[in-house]
Amino acid sequence: MANQEGNNIKLGVFVLAGLFVLIFAFYMIGKNQNMFGSNFELKTRFYNLNGLAEGNNVLFSGIQAGTVKNIKLINDTTIEATMLIDDKIRKYIHKNAVVAIGTEGLMGNKIVNISPGKGASPLVAEGDLLAAQKNISTDEMLQTLSKTSNNVAIISEALKGTVLRVNGSALLDLFNDKSIGVSLKSSLKNISKATANASEITQSLNKIVAQIKNGKGGAGVLLSDTAFAGNLKEAMVRIKSASDNANQMTIQLNNMVKEIQQELGNGKGPLNTLLKDSVMTKNLSRSMDNIQKGTDNFNQDMEALKHNFLLRSYFKKLEKEKQNK
Amino acid sequence: MALTGKAGEFFDETGRIARFAGRFFTMGLKPRYEIRELLTQCFIIGYKSLPLIGLTGFIMGLVLTIQLRPSLTAYGVESELPVMVGIAIVREIGPVITALIFAGKIGSSIGAELGSMKVTEQIDAMEVSGTNPFKYLVATRIAASTLMLPVLTILGDAISMYGAYIGVNIRSVTSFHLFFSQIFNSLSFGDLAPAVIKTFFFGFAVGLIGCFKGYNSSKGTRGVGSSANSAVVLSSVLIFIIDFLAVQLTDILGLNY
Repeated sequence: MANQEGNNIKLGVFVLAGLFVLIFAFYMIGKNQNMFGSNFELKTRFYNLNGLAEGNNVLFSGIQAGTVKNIKLINDTTIEATMLIDDKIRKYIHKNAVVAIGTEGLMGNKIVNISPGKGASPLVAEGDLLAAQKNISTDEMLQTLSKTSNNVAIISEALKGTVLRVNGSALLDLFNDKSIGVSLKSSLKNISKATANASEITQSLNKIVAQIKNGKGGAGVLLSDTAFAGNLKEAMVRIKSASDNANQMTIQLNNMVKEIQQELGNGKGPLNTLLKDSVMTKNLSRSMDNIQKGTDNFNQDMEALKHNFLLRSYFKKLEKEKQNK
Repeated sequence: MALTGKAGEFFDETGRIARFAGRFFTMGLKPRYEIRELLTQCFIIGYKSLPLIGLTGFIMGLVLTIQLRPSLTAYGVESELPVMVGIAIVREIGPVITALIFAGKIGSSIGAELGSMKVTEQIDAMEVSGTNPFKYLVATRIAASTLMLPVLTILGDAISMYGAYIGVNIRSVTSFHLFFSQIFNSLSFGDLAPAVIKTFFFGFAVGLIGCFKGYNSSKGTRGVGSSANSAVVLSSVLIFIIDFLAVQLTDILGLNY
């Protein structure tokens, strides 16, 4: 019976060892599929899953973060994937994180990559829908590549024509002409000289500007002398007072003219007499007549005097000198 | 009876095996249980088979790794060697190789043991003495092999993995930790669960066929030898048939991802 007892112990150890290995294996697999730790769910919607299946890994910035729990067709262009994410990762995933489908290695299993988004955003909550990045499949890439290569073919054809035309054109002669190089060189030299001159001019201008700044030279004085500005101001003030005076004078003149007009209208005063008295006009006219007569008489007297013997020689002498001329 | 010759024999045999199995489920699973005999049989069938299973499993893991390496190197995925070997062992090689070795060792021993008991009329004597020979001899053995083969398979898998680890380290270097994390990262319940479940059926088939052949052994020493031989052959074939059915079933059920 002791032997039986020993055998049973051995059997027990054997069976327990087997069970332990089995449970360990199940635990390891379950741990990798996040079946035991605390998890939370995140959702995302894709246009095309590219072969992503339930149970595929979810990586957050390259770290194992969970698995794809469920895949559901929403409509013909939208597929919703529910991901089971480890709670330990929760505090690193923000709402603006971007989800994309990738591949393990070159040809391996499909995986879901969650990468952090740009800028600040609150942390994710249970069941949040993350934005998905449209992934480029190899087929699409090849289609685009085919379009591109067609375009390249067309472009190269056009380029070929262009090159052939250029080859036979005068432009090529221009390139091949050696004298162009020489003239180009001299042109460049001239340009260099011109530039030097321009530089000099600029320097001079610089100096002038500096002088102006310092208040030297005519323009400088004009622009910088404060005393001059003071004078100018004073002059302006004076001009202003002069114009004020002129204004006053004009007003006085105006008043005077008004007074004269009034006087003329009333027929008073010496001016009125001068301008409007008809008696005086007659007197004046007579006086003028008299003066006329007087001068006529004086003329006669003077003619008579010419012929007078005392003075005749003088007049003759005058006539002679006239004739000599 | 239109069926004649070999075809008739085949169907007759199949029918009798089915009836034998039905007898196990109706009679063998009813009290009173022969617990002590069951434990003894478990010890003999399970514990005593472990060294053999361990050795074959270890060599299988090692050899599989060495054999797979050139192909994987040609593809440039030598680093996937542990994954490849791990999945192969857990899903297929481990259960089937273990079951075949188990059939060779246990199936033949049960067939020979029960056959010799039958030939020497010990079974009839047992019946006379008031012990139910079917319960005492057959039910305990079938139950023991059904329960022990999964345990043996799991331990054999573990030993095979260790062999594979050594196999990987012959030509390249990998750490134990990396090796196992690689394997368990690639394994899923869909790999492990069907593989474990089908080993129960393997064990049941081996025990059933061994018992059937021994219990129905023909007279004479030749009958003992032929029953031991045919027990091994038939149980090996049945293992492959069950394996095929199991794989088909898991595939149809969608567990085969």
